[in-house]
Amino acid sequence: MSKLGNLIIAGIITGSIYAMFAVCVSVWYRVSNILNLAVGDFAMVGALGVDNLYRVKGLPLPVAIITTLVVVAVFAYLYDLVVLRIAQDRRHMEGIVVTFFFTFALSFFIDGVAKMLFGTDVHAAPTLWNGNSLTLGSLHFERAGILVLACAVIIGSAFWVYIRYTLGGKALEASGENVVGARIVGIDTRRYRLWIFIGTAVIAAIFGIVESPITGFTYLSGATISLTGFIAAAYGGFRKPGRALLAGLFIGVLEALLGGYVSAEYGDTVLYAILAAMVLAWPRGLGFESAVSG
Amino acid sequence: MSEQAQAALTVTGLSVAYGNVIAVHDATFAVAEGDACAITGPNGNGKSSILMGVTGMVRRRGTVQIFGVTARNGDVRWAARHGLTLVPERRQLYPDLTAHDNIILGCYTWTRSISKARRSGSFGRAIDLFPELKPHLKQTAGTLSGGQQQMVAIARGLAANPKILAVDEPCLGLAEALAKRVYDALAQIHEEGTTLIVVEEAPRRALTLCNRRVEVRNGMAGAA
Repeated sequence: MSKLGNLIIAGIITGSIYAMFAVCVSVWYRVSNILNLAVGDFAMVGALGVDNLYRVKGLPLPVAIITTLVVVAVFAYLYDLVVLRIAQDRRHMEGIVVTFFFTFALSFFIDGVAKMLFGTDVHAAPTLWNGNSLTLGSLHFERAGILVLACAVIIGSAFWVYIRYTLGGKALEASGENVVGARIVGIDTRRYRLWIFIGTAVIAAIFGIVESPITGFTYLSGATISLTGFIAAAYGGFRKPGRALLAGLFIGVLEALLGGYVSAEYGDTVLYAILAAMVLAWPRGLGFESAVSG
Repeated sequence: MSEQAQAALTVTGLSVAYGNVIAVHDATFAVAEGDACAITGPNGNGKSSILMGVTGMVRRRGTVQIFGVTARNGDVRWAARHGLTLVPERRQLYPDLTAHDNIILGCYTWTRSISKARRSGSFGRAIDLFPELKPHLKQTAGTLSGGQQQMVAIARGLAANPKILAVDEPCLGLAEALAKRVYDALAQIHEEGTTLIVVEEAPRRALTLCNRRVEVRNGMAGAA
C-alpha cells in the first residue's frame, strides 16, 4: 500500500511538471497559433544557468536566479521582436513553417549555446529547500517535489483566474481565436503574444530551477521535457490549458506506476504505447480532432 | 441632413490598396451626427474596403476625421476610443468563447476591468438589444446559428459604446425574417442616438432605414 502511495506521490510531482509545460505550450498556442517547441529548453537554461552562476561563477543564489530569469526574459523578448515579428507580422508566413519551424530552430540554437556555455555534464540548480524528505506514516514527500507542486499550483491557478475572470484574460483568448475580431475591439494581439512568450519562458525557467535537483539536467534535457509537455498539451487539443494540465498529471502518475509495477527499464516504452493507443481509441474525446482541423 | 449638424465622420480622398490592387480610389464623403448612411454598390466594388480603411483595419491614403479630429492611420483602437466601432463582414467572432464573453469583449475598447464592463450601461444595452439571445449567452459562439452570430456581433459593437456604428453586410446569408429582425435592431440603435453607417449590396433594404446613401462603383464613391 505504501509503495502505491509513494509511487502516486512521485507521479503527481513529475506529472505537475509535465502539466506546467503542457499549460505553457497550450496557452502559447492559444494566443499565437504557434507550437512552442523551445519551452523545455528555457527550463534547461534556467537550471543550468543558475547552477553555472552559483557554483562556477560564485554569485549569491538569489542573484544567480534573478540574473538567469532576466536573461531568459530578455532573450524571449528579442526572439519575438526579431524572428516572430518578421515571420508572422511582416511576411505573413503561415502554416507548418511558422507553427513548428521557427521554435524548432530556436530549440536547437539554445541547445547549441548551452553546450558551449555549460558543457555536456549533468548539473542541477542547488536545492532551494534543504533537509530530509518529510514523512507522513509510510509516505515520503521530497522537499524539492513539494516545491515543484506548490509552484505548479500557484502558477496554474493564477493562469486559470486570469483567463476565467479578467477581461485581459478573455482578450488573450480572443486574440488567438480570431486576430481580425480581436483587432476590432482594440486588442493588441502582438503585445499579448510577446507577453505570453516572455511569461511562459520565465515560468519554464522557474520550473527548471525548482525541478532540476530531482532529476538533474544536461544541455539536451529540454527536448524531452518539451516532448512530454507537448503530448499532454495535445490531449487538450493544444487549446485547452485545463485539459492539458489534467493530461500532464495523468501521464506523470501513469509513468510512475508503470516504472514501479511493470518495469523500470521499459516503463517509458509501455507509457508511450498506452498514450498512442488512447489517441487511436478516442481521438475526438481527447481533442485531437480540433488540434488537426484547427 | 441639416446643415448645422456636426459632421460625425469626414472622409477626404480615401484610397485603399491591397498590394497592387486598388480597392478604393479617392473616396470623399461625410456623415453627419445622427445620420443613418447606407454605402451601397455591387459586390467587389470596394464598399467593405471603405469601412476597413476608415476604421483603420487596413492602412489608407487620405484623411479621416472622427468628430473633427483627424484619425490615426491603421489604428483601430484610436478609432474605437473616439467613438467609431466596426461590426465587420462575416462577424469575426471568437468561436470557442461564449456569446456573453464575445459581447463583453466589446468593452475592451474602453476598459480593462471586467467588473466595470459588466456594470456598464453599454454592456447592459448590448445584452438587452436582443432578448432572444439571452438563453444562448452561455453557449460558445461557434455553435450559434448564423442569425444569432450576427446578433452577437452587433451586440459586441454596441458594448464598445460607439457614437458611430459601422455595420458591414449585416444580413449576408440570413433568411428574410432574420434580416428584418437585424434591421429592426439597427433602427432601434439609430433611434437611441447612434450614428449608423450600413454597407449593403441591396440598396432597397438599406433605404428602409437610411436617410443618406453613398454609392460605390469601381472603387469610386459618390453621393447618390
